[in-house]
Amino acid sequence: MTRLEATRVIVGLAGDAPIVASLGHPAYDLFAAGDRPGNFYTWGSMGLASSIGLGLALARPDIRVFVLDGDGSLLMNLGSLATIGLLRPANLVLVVMDNEEYATTGGQKTPTAHGADLDAAARAMGVPRTATVRTAAELGDVARPDQEGAAVIIAKVRESAPTAKPPLDGVFIKQRFMSALGNPESATSGTVL
Amino acid sequence: MTTPAWASGVCAGIHAAGSRDVVYVPDNPLSHVLRELDARFRDIRLLLATREEEAFGIAAGLYLGGRLPTVMLQSSGLGNSLNALTSLLLPYEIPVLAVVSMRGDAGEWNAAQVPMGRAVRAIFDAIGVPHATVESADSAGETVRIAGTTAFGTRRMGACLLPRRVTTGSQTGSDPVAPS
Repeated sequence: MTRLEATRVIVGLAGDAPIVASLGHPAYDLFAAGDRPGNFYTWGSMGLASSIGLGLALARPDIRVFVLDGDGSLLMNLGSLATIGLLRPANLVLVVMDNEEYATTGGQKTPTAHGADLDAAARAMGVPRTATVRTAAELGDVARPDQEGAAVIIAKVRESAPTAKPPLDGVFIKQRFMSALGNPESATSGTVL
Repeated sequence: MTTPAWASGVCAGIHAAGSRDVVYVPDNPLSHVLRELDARFRDIRLLLATREEEAFGIAAGLYLGGRLPTVMLQSSGLGNSLNALTSLLLPYEIPVLAVVSMRGDAGEWNAAQVPMGRAVRAIFDAIGVPHATVESADSAGETVRIAGTTAFGTRRMGACLLPRRVTTGSQTGSDPVAPS
């Protein structure tokens, strides 16, 4: 499966649930698969998509939170797996688009191309649900929203050239996202005097 | 163990600013704050992070979910955090109250702490993060509260610095912050 196909699987099963995307190709593909207010596109802070998703999952235990990370990005913040394993929010689904390369920067191979196993790392850190999937059907099965327990899913994907780029304005992305979640930023609403 | 007045003030200030989530990487003086929060502020959630940059990422997610987060760190951790601040919190206007336990200032004994300790304020100035310094134990609560309410009100992160002369009472040794 290509990363875009994998992204479409997650968008398809997420419903209204928020999706946080790592910068670069994961965010570009999320936009291409379906722009929606519940998408949070990062444009920097490489490595932090899983942390943002973790914080959001803790703040909003009433909703499911999906994160689309990259293998290179997660490798930049591996401690995040330990924190997810420690806190285990039942509503967090971290999907790592593992194409075994730094595709956004020109296709340099990542350690996962040489055997680094992010699924095993997540398991070793105490993440209750982990899986490695290679097809859209497998991904759709393990990411189904009716399952409980913090999940780290390694989706082995083929790189596919992005076809679109999401909105650039971080404040717009944030305000639209927070409104979609039902906790709009207070500064975006007027006040009755 | 008696909680020092400055630490009680920091806790009260965080609470008064409306923050109910504290993401932290531990530090010796901050252990007093952590103990006090755990003992007397049961409505505040304490979240351990493995690294300061991660702490700011978690805090950003908490804010997106409608919370008003605090990050507590040692000044050395500012170096670990800069990409999170400059490419996430600042451009997206995601406010966080940062409570920074200072190293490398007056009373420091470890030379490895001095360069970052000296640079903290200049770094915050360079990236446009307002910062206030707690000048005494008595003023800790108000200083932290105002830093927090200003950050959350204006949607700009703000920092509150806790110097060693306040957290450890240490005035001994050379003063690496003084101009040469």
